[in-house]
Amino acid sequence: MSYPQSATDTVVKSKKAVNKNKKKIKSEKVIPYLFILPSFLIILGFLFYPIATVFYYSVQHYDVSAPYYNGFAGLENFVNIFTQDKMFVPSLINSVKWVVAEVGLQLTFGMILALLLNQTFKFRGFVRAVAFIPWAISGVLASVMWSMMFNEHMGVINDMLMKVGLIDEPMAFLASTSTAFGAVVIAELWRGIPFFAITLLAALQSIPNELYEAANVDGANRWKSFIYVTLPQLKNTIVLTTLLRVVWEFNNVDLIFNLTGGGPAHSTTTLTMYIADLAVHGSNFGYGSALTVISFGILLIFAVLYLKLSRYEKE
Amino acid sequence: MFTKNKKMDRILTLYLPLFMMLSFTLFPIYWTINTALKPEGDIVKRPLQYLPANPTVENFVYSWTNIGFATFFKNSLIVGISTVIVVLICSTLSGYALARYQFKGKRSFLLMLLCTQFIPRSMMIIPLFIIFKNLGLISSPLALIITYTAIEIPFTTILMSGFISNVPKELEEAAMIDGCTKLQSLRHVVFPLLLPGIVATGVFTFIYTWNEFLIALMLTNQQSKFTLPVGLSSMLGEFNVNYGALAAGSVIALIPAVILFAYAQKHLVNGMGGAVKG
Amino acid sequence: MFKRKWSTSALAMTMAASLALVGCGGSEETSSNTKEKAAPKSDEPVTITFWDENAGPERTPLWEEVIKQFEEKNPNIDVEYVGIPNKSAKSKYDAAIAADDLPDVGSVQTTWLPEFSIREALLPLDEYFEKSDINGKINPSAIEFNKKITQDNKLYGIPYAQNLDTIWIRTDWFEEAGVEEPDTFDEFFTAIEKMTDKANNRYGYTIRGGAGGSFQLQRLMFAYSGLDYFNEDGKPNINAPEHVEFVEKYLSYYEDYTPKSDITNGYKEMIAGFDTGVVAMVHHNVGSYGEHKKSLPEGSFKTIPLPKTADGKYVAEGGNAVNVAVFKSAENPDAAWKFVEFINSAEAQSTWNESTGQIPTNSDVLSDEWVQNAQHIKVAFEVYENPETKLYEPPFYLPDYRSILDSIVDPGIQSVMSGKMTTQEFLDEWAKAIEDSKAKYDETFKK
Repeated sequence: MSYPQSATDTVVKSKKAVNKNKKKIKSEKVIPYLFILPSFLIILGFLFYPIATVFYYSVQHYDVSAPYYNGFAGLENFVNIFTQDKMFVPSLINSVKWVVAEVGLQLTFGMILALLLNQTFKFRGFVRAVAFIPWAISGVLASVMWSMMFNEHMGVINDMLMKVGLIDEPMAFLASTSTAFGAVVIAELWRGIPFFAITLLAALQSIPNELYEAANVDGANRWKSFIYVTLPQLKNTIVLTTLLRVVWEFNNVDLIFNLTGGGPAHSTTTLTMYIADLAVHGSNFGYGSALTVISFGILLIFAVLYLKLSRYEKE
Repeated sequence: MFTKNKKMDRILTLYLPLFMMLSFTLFPIYWTINTALKPEGDIVKRPLQYLPANPTVENFVYSWTNIGFATFFKNSLIVGISTVIVVLICSTLSGYALARYQFKGKRSFLLMLLCTQFIPRSMMIIPLFIIFKNLGLISSPLALIITYTAIEIPFTTILMSGFISNVPKELEEAAMIDGCTKLQSLRHVVFPLLLPGIVATGVFTFIYTWNEFLIALMLTNQQSKFTLPVGLSSMLGEFNVNYGALAAGSVIALIPAVILFAYAQKHLVNGMGGAVKG
Repeated sequence: MFKRKWSTSALAMTMAASLALVGCGGSEETSSNTKEKAAPKSDEPVTITFWDENAGPERTPLWEEVIKQFEEKNPNIDVEYVGIPNKSAKSKYDAAIAADDLPDVGSVQTTWLPEFSIREALLPLDEYFEKSDINGKINPSAIEFNKKITQDNKLYGIPYAQNLDTIWIRTDWFEEAGVEEPDTFDEFFTAIEKMTDKANNRYGYTIRGGAGGSFQLQRLMFAYSGLDYFNEDGKPNINAPEHVEFVEKYLSYYEDYTPKSDITNGYKEMIAGFDTGVVAMVHHNVGSYGEHKKSLPEGSFKTIPLPKTADGKYVAEGGNAVNVAVFKSAENPDAAWKFVEFINSAEAQSTWNESTGQIPTNSDVLSDEWVQNAQHIKVAFEVYENPETKLYEPPFYLPDYRSILDSIVDPGIQSVMSGKMTTQEFLDEWAKAIEDSKAKYDETFKK
């Protein structure tokens, strides 16, 4: 008795399910678009126009302080950048130096810190929170702290170096062409280590212990197990964080701007600092936009190549 | 013999390097607090005082009352918290779409996200100013909330999508078989698992808004609407810098961020882990 | 098809509606505006915003004090202060002008006046000024200068504080060595030589080789030559033989009579050299008085004007002032002007300049006790009030004037000091940059 009924039941049910599935497929198609809609609209509404203006102004003479020169420029801005601009190449070189130094050092020290914080010891939670603090400090504050410490007359760094006997007389670290770049790199490094430490620590925690145990059985020492177990497991994390960091550091100027303003003698002027200077002091947005388009292109090519070459997400 | 070796090993591979790293991290903060506690004359006095000889809280009182710090603090909180809420809603949704669906335009959307990060902020100021002027939102916290949201969405979306893809899809499907609708399954099953990721994203966003200077300065034309970094920077004169008040202000500004970190560090580590693994 | 039509017409309707709205709003606004203008003495409460272009721990409280005094006298006017950090002030104004969202009154550097007026952001103040009580009290040469530098020769800003480049000297060292205070450039150079005592780590002078050195070098060059910025043919006098001669001699003192670290000296390093007792003379302006007072005992230092030209004249660079300007978009220009007037009253100028160490422009302040007791302010007054004093005009109106100084002249000074470039090459390069920029500018405005 019950048997046929349940059979019809199943038939009805499956019919319903087919209908539902059809509906579902249709709605499934719409859902992702609905989900990205808010983000898409906000970016379109508030970032698209500013970014588009950069591309538009790159082929214009556009100087807010000299509106009488404004007008179509064609490729003139670009031609000038490559043929006449004495600042372009040096600032690009500084940018490369800046990015390599920052990302390289931040990654190295961030890795060391992550490996340390991954071990078990007393008050680990507290130590972790403390170690991450510099990340939470704004450019304004960080610049103030470091400019006080680097100061020639009241600076504690000079005081300590003299006490230890490394230098005989106070140095103006931020005002000398030979030390300014290094000084700013250290300040930014201080602020950048936690980002890597946090992300790498997170990734370290998800490495299965069995892998290490297996390596131990094979007689690997600490260094070997780091090279053959840890690093490969961290690859995707490292690739993604370094990529993001390269883009950020490339465009990051707040510490440079506040500590040295790009000087002395342009020794700390990176491409982005140069652009900021043109936009902020020179108000020459047309030329600045052309430079921005170039740096946009550089970053885009870098990002694509980097993801390809590093074989991100491929084992 | 064995224990001694082990102790030595612990010191060399853990305590010593940890101590060195932490001294580098903490020294500037110690020095700022030290400076904040000194009366003005003592700050530049030689020999330098590694501990304040005449400790005082006058700098804290001064920056809290005279500079209108309390107002800046409140403004920063309003902007920060609102931005976090909006960013979390948007990036959870879009992150979910990226993690769970294959759809046309997905790559373009990703590319769009990435491209927004390639333009220095200083070049976007005037267009942003014009947009918000036309909307009548100059000096309104809304202008900052919207701009920060737009700027933060790309990174937070990638963060969230990484985290969501780490939540097993089967869990969600199981929930739906149990008769949950999509949204219900999201709320009751996925959301709790996502909590660490949401905390991490929220902290990341909050810290950005708390510290952002250029846009806040440019889009605000009223002293009473300044956020903390803008208010702080007005303590930097051209030739004359009130280091004591500045240091005290810095310490005050640091407190919420530190509390947030102490509270969220566990989630932060787990949350970021999920995201960057994916 | 239908859909598209429908949406177009909907769009048209919304646009029409919004246009109508805008139109209504606009006319209403203008009518209310005229009302206000017609009845300026109404006691209706008015709010004006004021932008301070150099906010800081020192100036912000001062402005708040000045505003408080003003509001007490004008109970119906409310002034809203906005303090902008010096570094970001120009770009903040730039964005505000580009978006046409400006304050009513703003503190504006003289070098910005030509540009802001061409961009039609400022309200001409000639009429207001003529009728005002402060007319005749504010330093006439500064007022004239502000008119001269704009395209239409109108007055767009009232200078409320001036600055002047001077030389700070260690009077105690000079007395000890029996050297007279230098009055001419020959005496200046001799003093540098005589005051140098390397065995005791003392130098006669310090050169600003780092950031900002260009401004100081330019002011010394023209003080030495007494030339105008441009010659009769409209070519810059930068590389005139007098200037080559001066710069060559001046920079040759580097290392022999000035500290080795001079090549990267910025403001702070240079002043520190003086304040810590390493150098006998330093070229800066009266504004650094406060710094010296902090570190050197009273009576051990004073300021003297830049040396005179060969024919005995003082030379000063025009435009070394800060002004208050009223912006065109001000809804209530009369109230705005009242505030401008008040800032320039003897009372307000006295309070403000005494605390900031700048030079008041209102002649009534001269008799104030604090001015009489401030040697550096008196020196500055002497120079500015001297009818023989020559004010030369740098071409602030050139849009890239500032960037030429920053990106060509500053590094150029370092190249000459380190022997990588000759003085002639350096000045030629500088002159050419100014010449090119001016040619382009002239071409635009001759049309």
